[in-house]
Amino acid sequence: MLKQNPYQNVRYQWGAYAVFFALIALIPLSMDDAFLLNQLSTYGVYGILALSLSLCWGFGGILNLGQGIAFGLGAYGMAMTMQMQTQDAADPIPPFMLNNGLDALPAIWEPFANTGLGIFLALAVPTLYCLIFGALMFQARVSGPFFAIMTLAMLSAIYTVFIDLQYLTNGVNGISPPQSLMLGSLEVDPYSTTSFWGVYIVLLVCTIAAKLITLSKFGLIVRAQNNDAERVRFLGYNVAVYETLIYTISGLMAALAGCCFAYLTQYVSPSQFDVSFSISIVIWAAIGGRGSLLWAILGAFIVQGAQSYLGDEFLNTWILILGFFFILVVRFLPTGLAGLVETLLGRLVSGGISLSPGIEQPSKSSE
Amino acid sequence: MDIGSITSAVFLGLSIGSVFLVAALGLAIIYGTAGVINMAHGELIMLGAYSTFMMQTVLGLPFFICIPLSFVIVGFIGYLIEKVLISSLYNRPLDTLLATWGVSLVLMQGVRIIFGSDPKYVEVPSFLSTNIDLGIVNLSTFRLFVMFICLIMVLATWYLFYRTTFGIKVRAVTQNKDMAASFGINSSRIYSITFAIGAGLAGVAGSLFGAMNIVLPTMGTSYVVEAFLMVVAGGGGLLGSILASALTGQIQSAFAFIYNDTYARFLVFVLIVIFLRFRPQGMISAGASRR
Repeated sequence: MLKQNPYQNVRYQWGAYAVFFALIALIPLSMDDAFLLNQLSTYGVYGILALSLSLCWGFGGILNLGQGIAFGLGAYGMAMTMQMQTQDAADPIPPFMLNNGLDALPAIWEPFANTGLGIFLALAVPTLYCLIFGALMFQARVSGPFFAIMTLAMLSAIYTVFIDLQYLTNGVNGISPPQSLMLGSLEVDPYSTTSFWGVYIVLLVCTIAAKLITLSKFGLIVRAQNNDAERVRFLGYNVAVYETLIYTISGLMAALAGCCFAYLTQYVSPSQFDVSFSISIVIWAAIGGRGSLLWAILGAFIVQGAQSYLGDEFLNTWILILGFFFILVVRFLPTGLAGLVETLLGRLVSGGISLSPGIEQPSKSSE
Repeated sequence: MDIGSITSAVFLGLSIGSVFLVAALGLAIIYGTAGVINMAHGELIMLGAYSTFMMQTVLGLPFFICIPLSFVIVGFIGYLIEKVLISSLYNRPLDTLLATWGVSLVLMQGVRIIFGSDPKYVEVPSFLSTNIDLGIVNLSTFRLFVMFICLIMVLATWYLFYRTTFGIKVRAVTQNKDMAASFGINSSRIYSITFAIGAGLAGVAGSLFGAMNIVLPTMGTSYVVEAFLMVVAGGGGLLGSILASALTGQIQSAFAFIYNDTYARFLVFVLIVIFLRFRPQGMISAGASRR
């Protein structure tokens, strides 16, 4: 009788989450460098993004190369809200619009004058986008690499539109609200512990939600359709509904990350829709381990941490190394670092026999 | 809306379509044969442009000789990529996509480190940088030249795949790899050669685009998404890609005529998404298995 790999034990997994978040909670208590704290908060944003992609790609098998869409839309919504907070009735038009020769506030901007409505829209618009785009694609049974290409196409289309709509989005310069976010009378200073807690509580909530989803019956069907969509269809499930839902949930999380990003950096620009940013998200999840929520987050921390540790003068070489590393991971270690840990733990327990089934893509049978 | 502006819009559409097709042809061959989504295609185009630039500045070769030579150089690079990386990933379609994406990152960054981020320029013979006035329409000679090369590329590809023994082998492997293998066809060799040819066509595209625009390490990304859409909307085959490129070129030209270039691009992308909702197999489905 073989012992179970502790990696696959759900109780240990919850334990690992508890340890991870407890360690994170120690950071603001032991640090008073506001700049570093702000940087670590942005890592939390990257963590949420990697988590959202892991949920959609690792568990659902839906490779989303356009995760930047939901992220960017969320970030723009938040930045617009923050920008409108600094405007008042006497001066309702943001300065860059005046530079573009507008004499009235565009209708699209008006709801963002209300902070609550603005934040709601920052989350609702990307979610709705994912719902519509996902439903269109999955009902037509577009899946696998084809779906990935379509998300990339939409990303590139939205990128050009946001640059082109100069009078609404300030083009390539982006929007940089002059003040911190105000929630009622609470000022969310991006360099404070408050904003650090804000980001990591979002990450915690998203992680727990994602874990519960993967453990639920819904999550089981999502994972089943990843393995063999046709068989799940024969069992009477509407696969498109499950695919659309998991894609939309993942998009909502990315939108949350976008909101956090906007209040942390007080800046958004079309570079959030840049293909290279969405590539980074995929690289984080792939290196950490797409099939593991926690390892995807750690992947983001490791890659981004290494990038900022090595500094700007080394950046060009670093991207080259990262690219090579990514190729190696895809080629030899499709489960990422998580798979490595899983195998090692399995060896440790059962003395040489690997129990890890891995999450290699099954070769798609012809339809 | 007079005859002249409509004719020039149609010609512009043909010209846009031929650019799409030049970019998409290599991709379509690789996808149609091996089912590989080659995300590094744009960077192969970029390499074609840089090799043309290098051949001109270092060796002083004329532009017309650079075009076939970029086919050879980039084709060889593609052959190496296939042998080293892709040949072991054929049964993992999503991972092929990711691996080639990594390749594109490495190529782009490598070129950036070697050549820097500043733009390079490809010289063309002076008669190609003029305009021809045909009374109603005013056309750039280089655009006509691109259409001409596009035609040659399509005809050569068609001849290779439908009129030669090699083409029969390729189609046999595409239809049923195991059956083809039992008739003594070395499928992995066929895949390698097809990949090399597809990459070579990207190199030719690079020579043309490098001369049409400026040469930058990031130039490939702007072509690759459109090229993919042509292949996906066309259904993965040669004929489908031609049809999709021609149609999309016309639609984009018409939208650009009414609105502007950016909206045209955006609307075309959205239209393709909606089109695929109703016809996921593309315009001309290969009839064989959908991957």
